[in-house]
Amino acid sequence: MSVQIMLGPQTPHSNLKNAIDSLSVNGPVVSITAGWRDSEAEIDELQAAIGSPIEDLNLYHLAEELFSREPKLHALHRERQDKLLELQRLYRIRLTPGMTAARKLLRDKAESDLLRLEQRAAISQVRSLDRHHLRRISAIHQEFDRRRAEVLIPSATSLVQSLQKKLAESGLVLIAGGHVSVLVNRIRLFRLVDMLAQKPIIAWSAGAMVLGERIVLFHDDAPQGKRDAEVLDAGLGIVRNVIPLPQAKSRLDWSSRNRMALFSRRFAPAKCCTLDNGSIIHLQDDRMTYASLCSVITRSGMKKPVVTR
Amino acid sequence: MNPIVESLYREGNPDAEAVDKFIQQNQFPLVEPGHVTFVYRGQAQAVHLRSWISGLDTAQPLVPLEASDLWALTIELPDKSRFEYKFEVEENGVKQLVLDDLNGVLAHDPFGANSVCQGYGYERPGWTLHDPTARSGSLDTLKIASRSFRDTREIQIYLPAQFRRNRTYPLLIVHDGLDYLRYADLKNVLDNLIHRFEIPAMIVALTQSPDRLIEYTGDERQARFLGEELLPAIAAKFPLLDDSNARGLAGASLGGVAALHAASRYPKLFGQLLLQSGAFAFSDLGRHKKDPVFDPVVRFVNEYRNTPYPIAEKIFMSCGIYESLIYENRSLLPVLQDQGMQIFFEESRDAHNWENWRDRLRQGLSWLFPGPLWMVYE
Repeated sequence: MSVQIMLGPQTPHSNLKNAIDSLSVNGPVVSITAGWRDSEAEIDELQAAIGSPIEDLNLYHLAEELFSREPKLHALHRERQDKLLELQRLYRIRLTPGMTAARKLLRDKAESDLLRLEQRAAISQVRSLDRHHLRRISAIHQEFDRRRAEVLIPSATSLVQSLQKKLAESGLVLIAGGHVSVLVNRIRLFRLVDMLAQKPIIAWSAGAMVLGERIVLFHDDAPQGKRDAEVLDAGLGIVRNVIPLPQAKSRLDWSSRNRMALFSRRFAPAKCCTLDNGSIIHLQDDRMTYASLCSVITRSGMKKPVVTR
Repeated sequence: MNPIVESLYREGNPDAEAVDKFIQQNQFPLVEPGHVTFVYRGQAQAVHLRSWISGLDTAQPLVPLEASDLWALTIELPDKSRFEYKFEVEENGVKQLVLDDLNGVLAHDPFGANSVCQGYGYERPGWTLHDPTARSGSLDTLKIASRSFRDTREIQIYLPAQFRRNRTYPLLIVHDGLDYLRYADLKNVLDNLIHRFEIPAMIVALTQSPDRLIEYTGDERQARFLGEELLPAIAAKFPLLDDSNARGLAGASLGGVAALHAASRYPKLFGQLLLQSGAFAFSDLGRHKKDPVFDPVVRFVNEYRNTPYPIAEKIFMSCGIYESLIYENRSLLPVLQDQGMQIFFEESRDAHNWENWRDRLRQGLSWLFPGPLWMVYE
């Protein structure tokens, strides 16, 4: 298995160069900056940070071009995205009361087995809803893949092959942060997951989020108030048992232990790991082999430094 | 009496040295939960607090403190309140409005500066301050030979950091835009909210009227200027999203009236309205009792209240509860809501001033133009 390194945001201080230096890289460095959307091609700062040339795969722009050339594929893609959006809305309708109940029970001060059982049951209901949501999303993706296969698109096939070749020849893949949904969609669209799993990867922020098994959206300091964390989609599944939480310092309400405890227990046994500026986690074969400046959220809603083996 | 002032007299009348120490060791006004105590030091015949808070006397007397040149006044003030004030000092029969020398917190507006009273628990929001990590937008200038006004208008255009001509952007047109820049830190606010993905990268046009008492009071020329001259001119020069939901008008006080009026003349052209302490004067019966400047405002608001209709997709309204306009704003709210528009109404413990309008911008802008922060993890 290859090595994966997860980093926090690269501003104000970048630790990307140090992360690269810790690996022995055999081959060109390629990047995936599709999460930057329109700014995808603006990789000058990235190249300056690591001091060597990078080839970006341009997945965002290639997808846009492909969609404009292949209206049938675009329509299929649009249909899937609309379904996913609607499904997310329906999931949220069910999620809100479940989370409200779980939080209320966790706040309850009674010291009794009765309460503990109800707390467990409430969290279990939310976990079950999250699993159900992922199954429904998976069914939508499968339907898309099936219908896409029916629409034979030679230009798309050759594009996929050329991207896979570039990845195969690379010695290291960098996956930048940005718009997490766009990023995971583009990687899937070009069928790069299997190839990525074989490559050393350094990914930060949204890039780290897509490597996991589930993509969890969260923000406790939004202008219109706190929102319940939501499962957006399955991740690429290259890293298991980790929920990366970029910008955790500013995005999570650490003053509310119950809220944090619920976060941790909802996604257990996966470790909810903070990734702030300067954070780094090395993983190999799903084991954390090194970590610095990152913490996990404990069952009781506290922070604990990541312990590596 | 405030306990800190009481402590000054704990061991009898204070001498000059004790008063000096009292002044040096404390921050003024003296703030405690639910109350605030103003202190003035100096020789005078009378000292009054002038605060222009609706519901309170506009001038409240400070009381001279025994054996000192200190004057004090304690008033009730709900936590997190904020208002602006001056002292009116009377000496030799002459009254003079002065800033509070003991309070370094000032607010500026086109008429000068005022001292600021920040009630217990008030904190200036961090997103209004310069953030060195946030990329800075830039200001461009657009000159328009206006047919409506028969003169040339110079508009400042805020362009977001990393502005690219090959992208398209939402547009917000702000009345009294230069005042918003100077007194409400609008550039810091835009830079910071864009940096945090709370609003999208957007273009903001800052208009300034040479005669707002005429042009912002329901003047058809202003509406025509915005709808038929300024908007097309900006669209010709800058890449805008072609969607009414990505176009907005904003303004405070009479600027709010001008924004609502222009939107009403071009329904659905501007999908988003940000109206802060709008001076929406109206009369239910008989003639209004405000300054004649408000005649056209009252005509417009009465006309709209009589025959309301949807004019925008979303309207964010804010108003301080210490300003008399809270009555007009609360009255207009149900009329707008009944038209099926989405309305967000925010009341604040503040008055009719730029810092009140500044402090509401995050809520207003991010509600009207939500950014991708939920999905973006940089």
